[in-house]
Amino acid sequence: MIFYLLIYFIIVVAAAMAIMSKKLLNSAVMLALLSIGISILLFAYNAPWAAVFELSVCAGLITVLFISAVSLVKNDEDALKEKRVKYTVFPLMLVGFAVIASIFVPEYFANLFQFASFNPSNNPPLGDMIWLYRGFDIIGQITLLAASIFVIKHIFTKETKNEH
Amino acid sequence: MNINFPLDWFFIAILFFTGAYCMIVSRNIIKLLIGFEIISKSATIAMITAGQATNNMALAQSVIIVMIMVEAIVIASGLALVVKSYRLNGSIDIKKLMNLKG
Repeated sequence: MIFYLLIYFIIVVAAAMAIMSKKLLNSAVMLALLSIGISILLFAYNAPWAAVFELSVCAGLITVLFISAVSLVKNDEDALKEKRVKYTVFPLMLVGFAVIASIFVPEYFANLFQFASFNPSNNPPLGDMIWLYRGFDIIGQITLLAASIFVIKHIFTKETKNEH
Repeated sequence: MNINFPLDWFFIAILFFTGAYCMIVSRNIIKLLIGFEIISKSATIAMITAGQATNNMALAQSVIIVMIMVEAIVIASGLALVVKSYRLNGSIDIKKLMNLKG
């Protein structure tokens, strides 16, 4: 129980720091820390495949994407000046929300937990689940990957002089 | 049996609030994407706790893997749009995108 609380504490603090930090690079690093905390949580919940994907894609690839985008957007402070007040009041709002949520949320979900069905017999292994039962998801993922490649190719297309 | 189920959802609500607050108040497009990412993380935890509660971890893991892939694609496309918008407008302000014409 203390282990879970510690992991959740790291996750919430990393999320709060990610949105409160002044520099976008620090936000990206805190997002990576958040992903690492979530992958530890997934390992603790006996979901190693999801944890490995989370660690490699979210903590690795997405962090690299964020850092490269931040480095391409030079002088982010000059590019956009925002008021810091809305970020400095965030911890107060978070504590207020946590107090309200601690009253309503655990009670509601403790009731909801009674409706969860326990049927361990119909529970195939992960490989069968991905390749046999949810094979269309793989096709959807490949289609989405192709779509994103087309999007990025068309956004960063090289302009030729003949076009104008 | 998962005894942490209500506690998990308490922290999921806090994470969701954090991401939603960031998406509401920020004008910086990269911060908006960071808020989206935090909300996706809360959805990931929600999925894994639901899988634990219904004792169907294989389905939960397969859905999470698809979700992580979609998340990465959305972030990659969004950041590409941010960089292009910065090159065109010289700013990463979401309000600068309001004056799109034609």
